Amino acid sequence: MEIRETIMNKYLLSACAFLVFGTGAAFAHVTLETQEAPVGSTYKAILRVPHGCEGKATTAVRVQIPEGVISVKPMPKPGWTLQAKQGRYEKSYQLHGQTVTSGAKQIDWSGGSLPDEFYDEFVFRGTLAADLPAGQILYFPVVQECEGAAERWIEIPAAGQDGDALEYPAPGLKLLPQK
Amino acid sequence: MCLLAAIVLLAAITAPGQAFAHAALVTTEPTDGAVLAQSPAQFSLTFSEPVSPLVLALVRPDGTPVPLRSFRLNGQTLDIDNPQRLGSGTHVLSWRVISADGHPVGGSVLFSIGAPSAAPAVSEAVDRGLRSAIWIGKVFLYVGLFLGVGGAFAIAWLAQGGRAGRRFVIAAILCGLVAAPLSLGLQGLDALGAPFARLARPGVWQAGFGTSFGWTVLVALVALGLGLLSLVGRRGGAKLFALAGLAGVGAALAASGHASAAEPQWLTRPMVFLHGAGIAFWAGALAPLGLTIRRKPAEAAAFLRRFSQAILPVVAVLAATGFVLAVTQVQAPAALLETAYGRLLLVKLALLFFLFTLAATNRWKLTGPAQAGETEAQRRLVRSIGIEMLIVLAIFGVAAGWRFTPPPRALAIAAAQPASVHIHTPKAMADLSITPGHVGPVAASIVIMTGDFGPLGANQVTLVLSKPDSGIEPIKRAATKRDDGTWRIDGLVIPVPGRWAARLDILVSDFEMVKIEAPIDIRR
Repeated sequence: MEIRETIMNKYLLSACAFLVFGTGAAFAHVTLETQEAPVGSTYKAILRVPHGCEGKATTAVRVQIPEGVISVKPMPKPGWTLQAKQGRYEKSYQLHGQTVTSGAKQIDWSGGSLPDEFYDEFVFRGTLAADLPAGQILYFPVVQECEGAAERWIEIPAAGQDGDALEYPAPGLKLLPQK
Repeated sequence: MCLLAAIVLLAAITAPGQAFAHAALVTTEPTDGAVLAQSPAQFSLTFSEPVSPLVLALVRPDGTPVPLRSFRLNGQTLDIDNPQRLGSGTHVLSWRVISADGHPVGGSVLFSIGAPSAAPAVSEAVDRGLRSAIWIGKVFLYVGLFLGVGGAFAIAWLAQGGRAGRRFVIAAILCGLVAAPLSLGLQGLDALGAPFARLARPGVWQAGFGTSFGWTVLVALVALGLGLLSLVGRRGGAKLFALAGLAGVGAALAASGHASAAEPQWLTRPMVFLHGAGIAFWAGALAPLGLTIRRKPAEAAAFLRRFSQAILPVVAVLAATGFVLAVTQVQAPAALLETAYGRLLLVKLALLFFLFTLAATNRWKLTGPAQAGETEAQRRLVRSIGIEMLIVLAIFGVAAGWRFTPPPRALAIAAAQPASVHIHTPKAMADLSITPGHVGPVAASIVIMTGDFGPLGANQVTLVLSKPDSGIEPIKRAATKRDDGTWRIDGLVIPVPGRWAARLDILVSDFEMVKIEAPIDIRR
């Protein structure tokens, strides 16, 4: 009886939470604002950082650029030091008739302070290569650093695994067929 | 309930500047790992933002969960009433809450009342018939070695020509000559866990001989033979044979047994040797001495004088070696009462107390008058020696009982064995050891490798332990890297025994985490 009551409470509460929020998960994690884009297009990535780490202010955000996202340019942010780490791509890509073999592989915004009770966005732009597989999800692992703590939004679901079950999922972008 | 939750959640939405995020535990009362003097009246959990509890439970040291249903929300703090007085041991406050974002999060807080849960002693199945036989064999072996070979020594060195008690001593040696090989077979049965019916099989005897007890039996047979030789052989070699026999008694005892197996060996083995030889000197002299006084009072004076001159240093050696060995085995005074080994030692000490009292009376009150030829004193001395013999036999019985009681030292070694698991996945491998592998305070040691046994560098390793069947939500601890490349977690307390789910989160690079998991069994 006690157990059943507890479980009942649990479901009731969850149901209530969903009533109020819809899919609440979107609020919890570091996510991309635009979660779908066609391959072969220019994509503006807006990383949404909804909270700090365990109540502490965010001091740095680092994002890893997956293979196939080329010609990436981050947007500077007042109060934050911006750094784009360059590197070689695994293969060469054609962009506007030119061969591209290297570019930004990682972007760091650091030295800022985003208190836990505030919200902010971190922006970069890039081109989704035309040969990326449409229908799949491309992940942008993010490390959120705070004073003496860090949250790593780097988990990628294994084949067949439900992405919602992950504790710290990496922000994902669903690739659509080329227009 | 739903309305309450909706209000809480709406309040979270409408609160200005409030981000919708999942909650993190900020502080707890009691704090994780705390040791409290007494049962707390309430618990409190403070989160980084408002939450609603889903499941709150307290898991007692025996593993039974107690649901906690009385709680109050006070801003970001959740106050939970403790419905009952808690006994001593490690408890788990397991919580699962839902935060403003609708994501349930859970965790566990461990705290102990009095002291962290300790591990009780181990027990095993017992074959009583075999045990009795082994015990009797051991007592008879002691009779042969101490009363027999020791008696032969007393006749050769102390009586010097007197032959009273010779038949008794020969009988004791024969007793030992029968008991020694028989004990070997019984030891074989015990080693194999075989029933009595198999005593005739050669494999059983081989097994017995294969144990360290095999050496004890071999040396004991030689010592018994030397003792016998000193009694029945030519007069000339008697002293030499008897002395070699006495040394053999010490060597036989030092070859096996709990005391000889203890570390440091350079100390324990010589101690056992001296202790054994000392017992043989003392106990062996009793029967020939008593019989000489009774039958040939005229010869007894010289015998009594030599014995009483030698006995003081011998008893000093016995007491000193006995003390050192007892300390090595028992380690902590509390173990005297808490373990069977310790209780046997107490019984032996009590018997020794009587023995020493009697011996002191004999030495300082009766020896003088008896040497002077006072018949009354001689009569009392003989009676007193008879009682001493009985006490000595009782002590042999107690000492033979130690064969079945692992000393606290050995129990501590057994309890300290780690619980280990090897986790092998294509991405990573790990060896996880939890030491000691039973409930209570432990340390975890982790060795990580790549899936093909290569070195695996990691930025961070986190151990996540959970026990869903006991309602214990994940206990997370970050490991620290040691100079030798292993990862270690100290100050961990495992609250309940059984099968735990262990997960290792290995951060192999800034952006890549490998999670591997396996069950691990924690002893009681």
